[in-house]
Amino acid sequence: MNAVVTAQRLPVISLQDVSFSYEGGIEALKRVSLRVAKGEKVAVVGGNGSGKTTLAKHLNGLLKPSSGKVLIGGQDSSRTSVATLARTVGYVFQNPDYQLFCTSVEEEVRFGPHSMGLGRDDESALVERSMKLMGIGHLREQSPISLSLGDRRKVAIASVLATSPEVFVLDEPTTGLDTVESAQLMATLDVLRSEGMTVVLITHEMRLVAQHMDRVIAMSEGSVAFDTEVEEAFSDSDRLRRCKLLAPPITVLAQRLRAQGALSKGAATPLQLVEQVVRVRGERR
Amino acid sequence: MTRFNDLYSEADTFLHRLDPRVKMASVLMLSLLAFIMSSLAYLLVLLTFIFILLLLARSSYRKTAFAMKFVLRFMALIAILWPLFDPSGTPVLIRLGPVVITEPGIWRGLTSAIRVGCLATVWYILIFTTSQRDLVRGLVKLGLRFDFGLALAIALRYFPAFGTVMDSIIDAQRSRGMEFEKGNIFARARKYVAVLGPAIVSALKTADMLALAMQSRAYGARRNRTYLRELRMRLSDYVALATVLAMFVVPAVAKYVLSVPI
Ligand SMILES: Nc1ncnc2c1ncn2[C@@H]1O[C@H](COP(=O)(O)OP(=O)(O)OP(=O)(O)O)[C@@H](O)[C@H]1O
Ligand SMILES: [Mg+2]
Repeated sequence: MNAVVTAQRLPVISLQDVSFSYEGGIEALKRVSLRVAKGEKVAVVGGNGSGKTTLAKHLNGLLKPSSGKVLIGGQDSSRTSVATLARTVGYVFQNPDYQLFCTSVEEEVRFGPHSMGLGRDDESALVERSMKLMGIGHLREQSPISLSLGDRRKVAIASVLATSPEVFVLDEPTTGLDTVESAQLMATLDVLRSEGMTVVLITHEMRLVAQHMDRVIAMSEGSVAFDTEVEEAFSDSDRLRRCKLLAPPITVLAQRLRAQGALSKGAATPLQLVEQVVRVRGERR
Repeated sequence: MTRFNDLYSEADTFLHRLDPRVKMASVLMLSLLAFIMSSLAYLLVLLTFIFILLLLARSSYRKTAFAMKFVLRFMALIAILWPLFDPSGTPVLIRLGPVVITEPGIWRGLTSAIRVGCLATVWYILIFTTSQRDLVRGLVKLGLRFDFGLALAIALRYFPAFGTVMDSIIDAQRSRGMEFEKGNIFARARKYVAVLGPAIVSALKTADMLALAMQSRAYGARRNRTYLRELRMRLSDYVALATVLAMFVVPAVAKYVLSVPI
């Protein structure tokens, strides 16, 4: 359990002993307990079929636990409709094509706030803000389905963002994106975070986790294998291997240097590593 | 709702071993028979016969229950609604304002319900005991163009996948606050657009990709197709066909040629 990060802050989402089996299928979650606090940046990682998506779908009530309890913003997910929970937790599906149906980007983004029945002014403000944050303002007249995958993802994210949730759950949002698009997307997540939003990111890209996230929840065969701060998560290579994960090269390099006494802190990006080296050299002179 | 990838279950019964062409012809004849017969007693005999076939089909309990729940509900609906809308004949049993219920109305309702029960069950038996591949093979043997047969087989194969996509789309839209249970008819229609739009786009994309994938694996390179397993009628197939043919022809002749009321 990660006591450090969550203990002081109020949990937005809390799972208590949650188990879940698909109908006629295997047990996809086994007694999972965790809390996500307001403002956290949580990565959910793990091998294929380890239960990440199943876990994420519990975070907004799309799936209800077979046993155990899920509290979302204080509400029991088993007794609350997804539409109500969607005001607290926004969920972006991996495939944006499952979501887009309007004839223009702006209409698409407007749909959520419009169905929530906000006033016209609030609605427009939310739409503009979401499009601006995702950098898709210039596409507003275009048809969503004809855009590139990266842009379709951004439209899908903006359309969920426009419902102004407190927590944002994204299932593998960078899969299939080139490095530029992927970096842009992660940058917008950093913006969301700086706006006070809680972000839960499912991904297979450890480099992005090391760079952008605070906390790592690793799933393995339906259980939480470990739940720690990023630095610690990437420090135990055996444990990572058991979870079918691999630490990013820079992190490993920084850890080795640190073990040799050449560095005083870890690093997640080349830039951080360089800064560390320069600092240490400065101190030694 | 429970979804099945395929209602067909693998088993080794004489129904499974029958030639698909014989099965299709038999199902067609038994369906027509249900329409030819108008006597409740004979229809009940036919229904019993078909239910025995259903038991012999040895489909899984879950699939049988799933199908029969649907059939029985439909039968009950017909039996209840028919007398309300067909009040001809006497004696009148109930008269409540504009609602008139007569005894012949009730009998006609029961007859129609059993007829529909026979019809639906017999088609379920065909689907329970014939793989999609065999169905299509039978149709192609009966003269359907191979391309059309293949298209049909693929459509059937992708139908459950399409169901999964629909579920995902509904989940995706619910996650952005859409409530499918609420709103007036226009609001609801709009929500269906939100599901059908992405569903159609995704189906078209799949179809497009599938066509390309098949072409790149040389589909259509050769005109003449050969088969690994040819369909061949066996003695048991002829016996079954003859039996059903007799079951169909005898009542048909009796009713339309000899004017025996059955
Ligand atoms: N709709 C379903 N019905 C039955 N079993 C399912 C269903 N969805 C997932 N599963 C099973 O549940 C387990 C966990 O699946 P899940 O999709 O949560 O994994 P994941 O960690 O998201 O994997 P991936 O990295 O491939 O996305 C897997 O064994 C999977 O086969
Ligand atoms: Mg997944």
